[in-house]
Amino acid sequence: MAAVNFDKVVKSFGAFTAVHGLDLAIDEGEFVSLLGPSGCGKTTTLRMLAGLEFPTSGEISIGDRVVNDLAPGERDIAMVFQSYALYPHMTVAQNIAYPLKKRGVPKSERGAMVQKTAELLQLTELLSRKPRQLSGGQQQRVALGRALVRDPKVFLLDEPLSNLDAKLRGYMRVELVELHRRLGRTMVYVTHDQLEAMTMSDRIAVMEGGRLQQFAPPTEVYRAPANRFVAGFIGTPAMNLIDGEIRQSGGTWQFHAPGLTLDCPPLLDSARPGPACLGIRPEGVVFGSGPIEGVVQVVEQTGHENIVVARIGADMRLTGRVGAERVWQAGETVRCGIDIDRAHIFAAGAAGERLNRPGLRPVEAPAVIKAAR
Amino acid sequence: MQASQTVLERRYAALGLLLIAPTVLVFCAVIVYPLVSAIYLSLFSIFTPTLQGEWVGLDNYRTLLAKDEFWSSLVNNLIWTVGTLTLQILLGVGMALVLHQNIWFRSLARSLILFPYFISTVVAVLVWKWLFNDLYGILNHLMLAVGMIDMPVDYLGTMPNAMISVILVGAWKFFPFVVIAVLARLQTIPDALYEAARIDGAGPIARFFDVTLPQLRDVLVVIIMLRAIWDFKEFDMIYLLTGGGPITSTQTLPLLVYKEAFALNQMGMAAAYAVVMMLIMLVFMIVYIRRTRQEADT
Ligand SMILES: Nc1ncnc2c1ncn2[C@@H]1O[C@H](COP(=O)(O)OP(=O)(O)OP(=O)(O)O)[C@@H](O)[C@H]1O
Ligand SMILES: [Mg+2]
Repeated sequence: MAAVNFDKVVKSFGAFTAVHGLDLAIDEGEFVSLLGPSGCGKTTTLRMLAGLEFPTSGEISIGDRVVNDLAPGERDIAMVFQSYALYPHMTVAQNIAYPLKKRGVPKSERGAMVQKTAELLQLTELLSRKPRQLSGGQQQRVALGRALVRDPKVFLLDEPLSNLDAKLRGYMRVELVELHRRLGRTMVYVTHDQLEAMTMSDRIAVMEGGRLQQFAPPTEVYRAPANRFVAGFIGTPAMNLIDGEIRQSGGTWQFHAPGLTLDCPPLLDSARPGPACLGIRPEGVVFGSGPIEGVVQVVEQTGHENIVVARIGADMRLTGRVGAERVWQAGETVRCGIDIDRAHIFAAGAAGERLNRPGLRPVEAPAVIKAAR
Repeated sequence: MQASQTVLERRYAALGLLLIAPTVLVFCAVIVYPLVSAIYLSLFSIFTPTLQGEWVGLDNYRTLLAKDEFWSSLVNNLIWTVGTLTLQILLGVGMALVLHQNIWFRSLARSLILFPYFISTVVAVLVWKWLFNDLYGILNHLMLAVGMIDMPVDYLGTMPNAMISVILVGAWKFFPFVVIAVLARLQTIPDALYEAARIDGAGPIARFFDVTLPQLRDVLVVIIMLRAIWDFKEFDMIYLLTGGGPITSTQTLPLLVYKEAFALNQMGMAAAYAVVMMLIMLVFMIVYIRRTRQEADT
């Protein structure tokens, strides 16, 4: 039984369709991120789940109950808004107690529940303050507290960390993961920050243009992107995407691009010769030796590694992630290669689906993944 | 460094003085001078047409406080102010809430609502007098037609009808001010607050009391203060509608001041009434100023 289920949910605003037939089944206790570029329909999806927006068609259920006709207050959810939406005239304690009050929890019990939540979020000292007397991070914790004080079926969070500075964001990320582990509650988390999604989620729902692109654990989204959009969207620096063609000669498949011919990784049976796209992450690019000749254009030193961008042929670029031991100079000629076991082949087009079989060789997870866990 | 800074500061101070000087002069000419001269006049017994009179000291004030007419006018004034202000606030807030909804005639209604406020008092009162007229008035006509009454009602010539009518017309005339001020504030309340309240399980009534009203509180205090002061000193509407009648039953202090000054030709006495009125309004003003200062502090 899924904790949250979207069944062919469509949402249109007049002539504009923000969400196209979304199917999504979120398991009990899962931490799921909705990830995608601005305007892809993440917030709209979350708001439909909250009951603040009504689906044009399709069914949404929470637990075993279809909630389409339930008011937000009847859905047994809690939500943290991007703007926090704290009641400005109430103290922190009153803010946190408000959902209890509205649900008829007797006053005598409320105090203890607020106290417990405040301790969990280290808000005890701030309980008598008004929201405007708090810093952004503290307000964020109060907003969380207002959600956590109840024990709802699902927590909804809409970019709750986006107003915080980088350091506090990193800290709150760990806190949230920790909180989720402790509470074991289903959480749906909207973000456009892939680092947040990668580090916190059990599964990521990647969205684009109102459509679900892939719904899988972070490592799978990273290592086996379902299509070209996901491949290009996830990962920094972005995956190299090289347009070309796949050809079949004898039993073997080859990828051809100007100045580049490679044996393909094992392809799916559905693969057909024709235009295609080769994807290779920067860590799959080898600099220093290999069959391809290029010229170093840009070197970004991050301290523990270098990001090297090389120009291959007339208008192709290859980004590589290389160790910091060797210093590369712009203008230097370099030989590079592609680790074909880490390459992906996608069908042509912006959302071309994946054509190679995923994950034949275990690839070590990139450093960002699960850094926070 | 220190020296040049003070020179600069002095230059800024001089510029500041220069810039506020015109305002201060105008302020003195139109506010301070009349105020001082009213206080001065109130110490004389003056015949209005000649403006000649003799010094009587505080006699005017002594007479005034002993007069029944002063106290009854003050009571009338308070009944009028509290009555019309209450109606203005209720009507204004209610209408603002309605106009804040997404209704299809919203923009038209928002402009129409200002009509009573913009229309000249003389015109408005003339129209209302015809509506209220006991022989030809449409109000009596309609009420007779539906059988609510079987004799025409005298709206302006008997009590308590006259006071009620004045209060109602005042509410009609001035509630748009409340609508506009409240509407402006309503539009700045973030939607997310209402959404958070809905998720927290608050129904429409709880949302009004827990989200809307607290957000309106500051603006309502300002509106109530301003309108209380303005209603307290309202003259033309009441004067034109009832002239203070029947007899003196709708006579408020401003009407009494006018009567003393121009009907009884007692300019000194009128000035004394005006000064007392000013002192009463000073109470409103002090509350208002303390209130705004408090807001600036927090
Ligand atoms: N009330 C509305 N009326 C019309 N269009 C809307 C409305 N709300 C959202 N949209 C449109 O729907 C699309 C999806 O919006 P949504 O807010 O879900 O994006 P998002 O993925 O949350 O983006 P962001 O990361 O910028 O918050 C956008 O193109 C937006 O313009
Ligand atoms: Mg959004």
